Amino acid sequence: MSEWTRDRRRDAHRSQHDERCRRSGPSQWSHCRKRGIDGSLRANREAEGCDRENGRHTDNSYRHSDNRHSSFTTPESAGPVSRCGRQADWGSQVEDDEMRRGVHRDMQRYRRRILGAEVTQRERKTSSGSSGSCDSREGENIETDEAVLLRRQKQINYGKNTLAYDRYIKEVPKHMRQPGVHPKTPNKFRKYSRRSWDQQIKLWKVKLHAWDPPTEDGRDNLLDNIEELGLDDVMDIELDFPTLSDSQNAPAALSTHSLSLEGEDCLGTPVKIQKTETTAESDTV
Amino acid sequence: MENSTEDYRIQSFDLDTQVLLKTALKDPSAVNLEKVSNIIVDQSLKDQVFSKEAGRICYTIVQAEAKQSNGNVFRRNLLNRLQQEFKSREETRARSLQEWVCYVTFICNIFDYLKVNNMPMVALVHPVYDCLMRLAQPDALMNEEEVDCLVLQLHRIGEQLEKVNGPRMDELFFLLRDGFLLQEGLTSMARLLLLEILEFRAGGWMLSSTAHKYYYSEIAD
Repeated sequence: MSEWTRDRRRDAHRSQHDERCRRSGPSQWSHCRKRGIDGSLRANREAEGCDRENGRHTDNSYRHSDNRHSSFTTPESAGPVSRCGRQADWGSQVEDDEMRRGVHRDMQRYRRRILGAEVTQRERKTSSGSSGSCDSREGENIETDEAVLLRRQKQINYGKNTLAYDRYIKEVPKHMRQPGVHPKTPNKFRKYSRRSWDQQIKLWKVKLHAWDPPTEDGRDNLLDNIEELGLDDVMDIELDFPTLSDSQNAPAALSTHSLSLEGEDCLGTPVKIQKTETTAESDTV
Repeated sequence: MENSTEDYRIQSFDLDTQVLLKTALKDPSAVNLEKVSNIIVDQSLKDQVFSKEAGRICYTIVQAEAKQSNGNVFRRNLLNRLQQEFKSREETRARSLQEWVCYVTFICNIFDYLKVNNMPMVALVHPVYDCLMRLAQPDALMNEEEVDCLVLQLHRIGEQLEKVNGPRMDELFFLLRDGFLLQEGLTSMARLLLLEILEFRAGGWMLSSTAHKYYYSEIAD
């Protein structure tokens, strides 16, 4: 984002708060905001008016934060909301604040857990296995970028805010979970590329669909969707590939109503079907 | 801790509404939470007694909804209504002092009760200060209702407010000192209230026993 654009946006933003911004003078505001919301001391930043919604991200040199804030999503929005159109309503502000605190609290807990694990590892003097995925090395490798953590937390919240997840955690207590079989929430504190993370989330949500509530007449969503798409005849055909019989992938694939499967053209593209969790795939092959 | 329904002061509502509120407290998903929040806000703007304690019932409903369905509908709607009323507060004040005073009492009560992770809601800090600053303006100090409201809120949430934003509290108290010293036409009651709150804050948000005797001994008798 260019300096000019950023400044212009900041000014527009600031004038929104004109009413409240009767106080000027960086010294007064920086005195207020030496501490973050969670109480921890922050490095001295140049205070710029009453940019409360941004909290601490008001420093000139902290350009990165402006870029990140432009991708700040809210529960209602489908994707990134531009800064100027960002929610100024109190409801959203409080929710965002709550999530931010939650993430910070989680991070402290996670750090404590990791440090505990590291100490135990050292005491046992066992060498760690695969690199990067072993907890004992995570102390140095935690994701700490707040914007990233918040974005990830929101994605996790979407997945957890489903009937499927509710049913899943009721049915399978944590200690009974078998790796590979039971979906596991991706760890937001691990370093992953954006693509890797998004894919993990996608796969996790696909797996969760196995716990979708049955429909009223007792049949599962899978069969309903097949009929809705007029695929009865198709389903009678002997199928070679694993996709449609794979319980994990099928629900996600066929629950996208925008899928238009015509004849045999689409039957040979299991990979593409697997990807279409929420996007239309009308031009399959 | 279970609050008996009396604590919520819902007696001023008609019976149907009382039932609705009681249901909201126990089983939030069974009611239209947006409607419930509007009912509560509307009543708070009319009923001084209720506006002083409405925070409690709001808090319970928020907790109940979060626990039952991890939802936020009630709180979100409540806050957005508060925000709407905040935007039009000057008109409200011009139209009805009573309604304005009720609004300030209500938003301060919400600030007091509705915490997020045991911290006050950051989004409300400046609006609350704005309201109190308005009450400390010369034209407002002339009305005992407004002065009374101002000191009541400071008694209840002053300490918390100062903790989250000290400089604005300082700013507010500059106005109060000025008002006490310089404002002509203040009633003696208004001046008494102002003096008391000045001493109250100076004493670390409490009155020494001698000061308490000075201001309140007649009430005890």
